[in-house]
Amino acid sequence: MDTLKVRDAKDVEEVVRAAIANEQPLEIIGHGSKRAIGHAMATNAVLDVSALNAITAYEPNELIVTLQAGAPLADVLSLIDAKNQQFAFEPMNTAPLLGTPALGTIGGMIAAGLAGPRRIKAGGARDHLLGAQAVSGFGDSFKTGGKVVKNVTGYDLCKLLAGSWGTLSIMTEVTLKVMPKPEAERTLFLRGLDDAAANKAMTAALGSPFDVSGAAHLPTSAFRTKIEGLGDIAGQSEALTVLRLEGITASAAHRAGSLRELLAPFGTATLVEDTVSAALWTTIRDVLPFAADGALGAWPVWRIVCPPASGAALGTLLARETGGELIYDWGGGLIWAALPPKPDAHAAAVRERTNAAGGHATLIRAAEDIRRTVDVFHPQAPGLAALSERVRASFDPKTILNRGRLSRGVAA
Amino acid sequence: MAIMMPASDQAVLARRAEIVAALRAIVPGEGVIDTPAEMRAYESDGLTAYRQPPMVVVLPDTTEQVSLVLKYCAGQGIKVVPRGSGTSLSGGALPLEDGVLLGLGKFKRIREIDFDNRAVVTEPGVTNLAISQAVAHAGFYYAPDPSSQIACSIGGNVAENSGGVHCLKYGMTTNNVLGCEIVLMSGEILRIGGKSAENSGYDLMGVITGSEGLLGVITEITVRILQKPETARALMVGFAQVEAAGECVARIIGAGIIPGGMEMMDKPAIHAAEAFVHAGYPLDVEALLIIELDGPKIEVDELITRVETIANACGSTTCQISTSEAERNLFWAGRKAAFPAVGRISPDYLCMDGTIPRGALPKALARIRELSEKYQLGCANVFHAGDGNLHPLILYDANKPGEIERAEAFGADILRACVEFGGVLTGEHGVGIEKRDLMPEMFSEIDLNQQQRLKCAFDAQGLLNPGKVFPTLHRCAELGRMHVHAGKLAFPDIPRF
Repeated sequence: MDTLKVRDAKDVEEVVRAAIANEQPLEIIGHGSKRAIGHAMATNAVLDVSALNAITAYEPNELIVTLQAGAPLADVLSLIDAKNQQFAFEPMNTAPLLGTPALGTIGGMIAAGLAGPRRIKAGGARDHLLGAQAVSGFGDSFKTGGKVVKNVTGYDLCKLLAGSWGTLSIMTEVTLKVMPKPEAERTLFLRGLDDAAANKAMTAALGSPFDVSGAAHLPTSAFRTKIEGLGDIAGQSEALTVLRLEGITASAAHRAGSLRELLAPFGTATLVEDTVSAALWTTIRDVLPFAADGALGAWPVWRIVCPPASGAALGTLLARETGGELIYDWGGGLIWAALPPKPDAHAAAVRERTNAAGGHATLIRAAEDIRRTVDVFHPQAPGLAALSERVRASFDPKTILNRGRLSRGVAA
Repeated sequence: MAIMMPASDQAVLARRAEIVAALRAIVPGEGVIDTPAEMRAYESDGLTAYRQPPMVVVLPDTTEQVSLVLKYCAGQGIKVVPRGSGTSLSGGALPLEDGVLLGLGKFKRIREIDFDNRAVVTEPGVTNLAISQAVAHAGFYYAPDPSSQIACSIGGNVAENSGGVHCLKYGMTTNNVLGCEIVLMSGEILRIGGKSAENSGYDLMGVITGSEGLLGVITEITVRILQKPETARALMVGFAQVEAAGECVARIIGAGIIPGGMEMMDKPAIHAAEAFVHAGYPLDVEALLIIELDGPKIEVDELITRVETIANACGSTTCQISTSEAERNLFWAGRKAAFPAVGRISPDYLCMDGTIPRGALPKALARIRELSEKYQLGCANVFHAGDGNLHPLILYDANKPGEIERAEAFGADILRACVEFGGVLTGEHGVGIEKRDLMPEMFSEIDLNQQQRLKCAFDAQGLLNPGKVFPTLHRCAELGRMHVHAGKLAFPDIPRF
């Protein structure tokens, strides 16, 4: 395997142009932390952008940071944390789930677009990418968007780049929106609810004016693995339904009180604060109960996105049919499903039930031989799939970039 | 008309009667309008300096009819311009002489309100405000609130990615739409997304939003709704210097406070607004900030105090804090009426819409003052200060020879300055025809070609709303051509492992 470690955007252009001329597809990597997501790529040439790692500009008062795509996410997070700011979409750390060592790069964070619990309030990676410089499959460096939040100048190609898994263009520099970190966080939890009741409680909370910034449900079995930092919250082997409130201290505390009253029909909610609360939400964001080194480490894991109020019905059905374990986030709109090992990872059941609920499912963790026979990304209706392919080809007509990552059977 | 539109297709114009008849076969009755008198209502949108009657107006009322109209037009090589309520400020819905104007005004029904999923499924002709009104009884609203919300349609909002005074905290249209039904120029009907937080595959909803009617015709939209904040209060703060007001804005954001809205007006705008609505604005200040905090009462009260402290530290000369809804609304009344207020002091005005980094605000204002001198035209400034979105209102009189040309040149120079200061040409009004020819100030030919290639993926014949957004039109075949170098290029000499 040939790995080409580019030094600047010019190198990227030259590599892509050479790849076009040689009809040589390229796998694009930063730290390689998410390489195990998607299909095996039809290529033996790797373009490594990790040396494009500069922090170009950080302007806390403008709420923006401009970075090269290979900048290590860990470094960037500590940089903005020092100014009490954050990426409000809570980018997921996939390392524990996938069993990889690295947190990854900024480019990988955007290309994967995996947002955490605050997605329901603050949006996803796509809502925080303000501008990008990227090299298309034509070998041309282009820019889209800008360095300001409010911008409608031209098509918003940033939306396409976020979550494109490196199949449209190679981002070289990006401008992201940052937001102030909340002063305080409070989490209310209810014990012992079944999935359906928990879904109702989360729906009530998210339909309240209390500005809930996290709504998740961990059924009993999610605690089969011991989770560090949660102390006795997780120790009682009972399902937990958790709701987060953030903001200035007085407000978070006040809303927690109001929400507790609203949730009284579902039981008496208990309150945890700052550090304990933060550890709990990291557990949910990174799906730690399904970690690669835990009891369910060998099980395939699906990431199912659906209309939030349908979450419990879909999840319960899937769990019953497959014997799997679930974690609900986004008020029921995101289901992490670890299913017992099976050659097709229960794809037929997952896709059929998910389609019926109006959602879509991604096989986020599975052995490579499973991914050879199962579609990792949700198959789209034919018309939409055809449009998506035309959109892809408008950036990369020769399918040079990450060929085969999104769909099976794309020939080398 | 200062702007060149694509040349009219004489062959199409010659077949007008036949085309009208074919459209009548698809949309019977009053759905096809072809008399000059009746078509007058459609000859311009909110950018009234430009007018052009369409070849024919068609007002379908089903998705099927939209699909048939587009399929027919695609088959016959006829251009189509989609239109919502016609409130665009950038000429996005300006008709073409040889084009069919496709109005979505009959799509007026809210199809579903789903409180459990916090979503509303609506037809595109429903007004922005009507969505909020339809869910108000349960305490919900639709967050983006463009000033024209009483009239503008949600379909137009999606096409333009509309903003509003509250988008600093709650985002623009793109951050509040979940899915749509869209008809491509070919007539193909597609559904994208739904009530889920995210869609599968590429984020097509994201790129359709703000595409200014060039990618497809939207026939249904699913939007996200939110619970109304418990309360809102506003501060009205005056400054003797614009720089101090700019500093105040930066410090509020720097302190981690994201107000629901943060608006700035300069002296001419303050005076015009005060004369019009008598909101009690101080007349001896150079800049006025209206800062609204919303949320639970306890939070709003606390943040009001913090903002007041910051304003004092920045040398504010006046500071009033609303103590009732009536007072808060009064603070806003002047700002909301700023455009018509300026309309009273000047026969005509041009409303610009650039965005700059917040920190460049004093620099941008100084530049606008210089340009005002240079062009000998007045300018009143209102800004969405929180997100750096400027709305300079250039005052002119269309009846005085040369004034509109001078006003347009003034406006173009302001937008060039926005780009120079690290900003963009348009924050919320769209490119349309108004800023079309300025696109090269911000984008290279390569950048624009990539955008137009995307257009080709949706509309290979370039029949949907041509002449908008892009200064130069290219054929899709030309854009898709790869410039492969002769012979085979070796991978360049870079580190390998």
